[in-house]
Amino acid sequence: MKSVFTIISIFFFICFFTACIDSESDQTNDLKSNLIDTKINQFKDKSKPENERRNDLKKAYGIISTLPDNSFKIEKLREISIGHYTLKDFELYKDMNYRALRLSKKLGDSLGMAKFYGLLGIYYRERQLDSAYKNFYDAEKIYASFDESLQRDPISYAYDHGKILIDIAKISRKVKDYSKSEALTIEAIKKFKLSGNEKYLHLCYINLGIISKYIERYEDAVNYHLKSIEYSEVDNRKVKNTVFGYSNIGTVYKSNKRYEKAKEYYKKALSYKEYLNENPKTYSRLLDNLTYVNFLSGNKEGIPDNFYKSLRIRDSLNDRAGISTNSLHLAEYYQSIGKDSIAKTYAEKAKDISLELNNNEELLKSYEILSDVSESNIGLTFAQAHIRLSDSLQREERLFKDKFARIRFETAEKEEKISKISRENQILLFAILGLSILFLLGYIIFRQQQNNKELLFEQKQQQSNQEIYRLLLSQQVKLEEGRKLEQQRMSEELHDGVLGRLFGVRLSLDGINQRANDGFTDARTKYIEELKSIEREIRLISHDLGTEMLSPEIAYVDVVESLVSDLCQAHEIEFEFANDENIDWELVDNQKKVNLFRIIQESLQNIFKHAQAKSVKINFDYVDDKINLTILDDGIGFKSSKVKRGIGLKNITSRVKQMNGVVDFVNNTESTGTTVSVGVPM
Amino acid sequence: MIDDHPMIIEGYKNTLLGENQKEYQIKIDIASNCDDAYDCIVKSSKTVPYDMLFVDIKLPPSSDGSITSGEDLAKHAKELLPKSKVIILTMHREDHRIHNILKNINPSGFLIKSDLTSSELLLAFNNIVSGTPYYSATVNNHFRKMMTNNFSLDEKNLKILYHLSRGVKTKNLPNYVSLSLSAIEKRKNQIKEMFSIAKADDQKLLEEARKRGFV
Repeated sequence: MKSVFTIISIFFFICFFTACIDSESDQTNDLKSNLIDTKINQFKDKSKPENERRNDLKKAYGIISTLPDNSFKIEKLREISIGHYTLKDFELYKDMNYRALRLSKKLGDSLGMAKFYGLLGIYYRERQLDSAYKNFYDAEKIYASFDESLQRDPISYAYDHGKILIDIAKISRKVKDYSKSEALTIEAIKKFKLSGNEKYLHLCYINLGIISKYIERYEDAVNYHLKSIEYSEVDNRKVKNTVFGYSNIGTVYKSNKRYEKAKEYYKKALSYKEYLNENPKTYSRLLDNLTYVNFLSGNKEGIPDNFYKSLRIRDSLNDRAGISTNSLHLAEYYQSIGKDSIAKTYAEKAKDISLELNNNEELLKSYEILSDVSESNIGLTFAQAHIRLSDSLQREERLFKDKFARIRFETAEKEEKISKISRENQILLFAILGLSILFLLGYIIFRQQQNNKELLFEQKQQQSNQEIYRLLLSQQVKLEEGRKLEQQRMSEELHDGVLGRLFGVRLSLDGINQRANDGFTDARTKYIEELKSIEREIRLISHDLGTEMLSPEIAYVDVVESLVSDLCQAHEIEFEFANDENIDWELVDNQKKVNLFRIIQESLQNIFKHAQAKSVKINFDYVDDKINLTILDDGIGFKSSKVKRGIGLKNITSRVKQMNGVVDFVNNTESTGTTVSVGVPM
Repeated sequence: MIDDHPMIIEGYKNTLLGENQKEYQIKIDIASNCDDAYDCIVKSSKTVPYDMLFVDIKLPPSSDGSITSGEDLAKHAKELLPKSKVIILTMHREDHRIHNILKNINPSGFLIKSDLTSSELLLAFNNIVSGTPYYSATVNNHFRKMMTNNFSLDEKNLKILYHLSRGVKTKNLPNYVSLSLSAIEKRKNQIKEMFSIAKADDQKLLEEARKRGFV
């Protein structure tokens, strides 16, 4: 009891203490988060030099790293990573995201995990396509699992999910997995529409348009690009998107060889003069494309002047990709009019820049032109290079596709492994649970049986106790009966036999005495009177003998007394036994009688064995409807610590408990000896 | 003379024959148990009927069990020998027994053996021969008690008082008086009312009964 209390108090103390610490650390955390927010806000001030802003971020991160791991920390890490992104510190951006991802994993924040996979994907998409794909794919997996579990509001993450989907779609398009890319884009569109944020919708449609162009569904491509323009109207960069949209449609028509249509759209795009004046790069591209379409359609208008014009602009902007395209176009033009040497110069230029930029499409094209315009032996080399390149490109595409497939497969495998493990865990859990339930059940049954056995045993013990008492009592009663019979017989014998004969003798003597006259008559009369008084005495004795003196209630006390006297005699100890006449033993049930009997027996055994007593005093007293049994000895007493374990006292205690009584063992240390007092209700 | 102790009969004989031989011709038949006594009574009723019967109360019962005491025997004698005088001689001096015998037999003589001396026996004998009944002092005492109370207690009530006075507890009384415990309680209350000590305890009852001479 005491220990339980201590444990509870300790528990409360700990709770209180930790609560204190919590509130304390809460305060410091509040302070820190305020500091972080101010640092991040300082960083957002774009008027400051980049170095200072960078420092702000670093300081903010320094504080964040001291925070405990929680969602707040994750959120702040994200903000910092975005800050690094705007400062173009991509490595730091990557680091922050990795940190945040680890933290999310640790905290089991799957939404955060998805987010940071996505942000890492953004880092890799310009650098390592397969890593990007892997990260995006992981993010997508998490979102897809949300879709399946239906535990979250689908709108809450639809926008983020859409962004991931469109990123994967774009990567798939880059490796020419068009059908996959298309499906993913459509999925992304659905998500964006669900989220209600249509910021990225035009990008989706552009992607669809590009895909449709590649798989030669030109009508669809045009429609998609028109739609992209339509959705861009909600965007604040509407003009730019419109120009790009028209440009894209022009390219579609160009690919479809419907040059007039292509021209029409390029011209439409070129009509946004104000925008194009500000963006000469776009203008030069449009002009170049329009001129190229003109060239393809056989229209000599502005050829080659417009090529040169756009090339000049691009040169001035150092737009390498543009220069490469422009050069190719010029090479093609000169090839068509038979000026092979000029064509070769431009083709070489295009080849070099394409190599530099890794633009394989244009590199192929340049190889193609070069093989055509060069002398036969050099041309052959270029043709071979062309074949080699196209082969390697195909291989690379295939490799990427394989890689992506592998990523998907590995993820699936991992998932399967995890689910397998969890399944195994589940089975294990069930097995353990089942086993423990079985064990518990077995234990309960065992206990029940034990209890039953105990009860049965107790019952039997009680029965046998009663039987013993009954036998004791009946023996005593028989004894008493025998004695009574004997007394009656004696009484009758005295009354009828001895008395009668005495009377006859007296009468005869009297009769003789009447007649005799020898001077002794008076003396004889005196003796005859004496005889008469003897007769009276005998009759009185006979009466007393005939009177019933014994009843069953006395029998119990006799049984007890005979027990005490027998035992005490055997152990040569003096005893005193007193029974209160007020106790009506007949009203006391046999169980109690047996118990009291046994208690006396047990106590006497203890006294004989341990007390070294010279005399014992046993009293039955009747106080307030209770029978008080006191057993007092003048022995050496007992050591309570030793005795507590003894079976004798335990037995006495349990017997008293059975009778709803109280028991007290008093060690009379001063006046040596022990008192056992038992109080039992009637 | 009917008594199971030959010594007693000898005492009677010694007393009666020693003194009265001159005046009366006394012929004595002796029986020591109920069977013999009954036979003698029957026989005499057919021949010469007895003038006088000395009957002890406590006697070995008859073999067929129909006669268990001198009391029964006296009843038969009254029928068979209506003219003969019955003298009861008994060791019992309890009120209820005296009462019972007086009521059932109405003997010509009633002598309590413990009171009896040979002179008294002679006196009784002479009285009864001359036609006067004779009772022992104890019996007369009983009569007196009966008379001084303006009510009488029947045999059962007397028995109850008697046994109570011997220390028998009320609840054990049914073993001595052929009544149920509740009937005994009722009777006890009746007695108390008669003694006008209603609601008194047994101690008081006995005191009163002793005072009034019922015990």
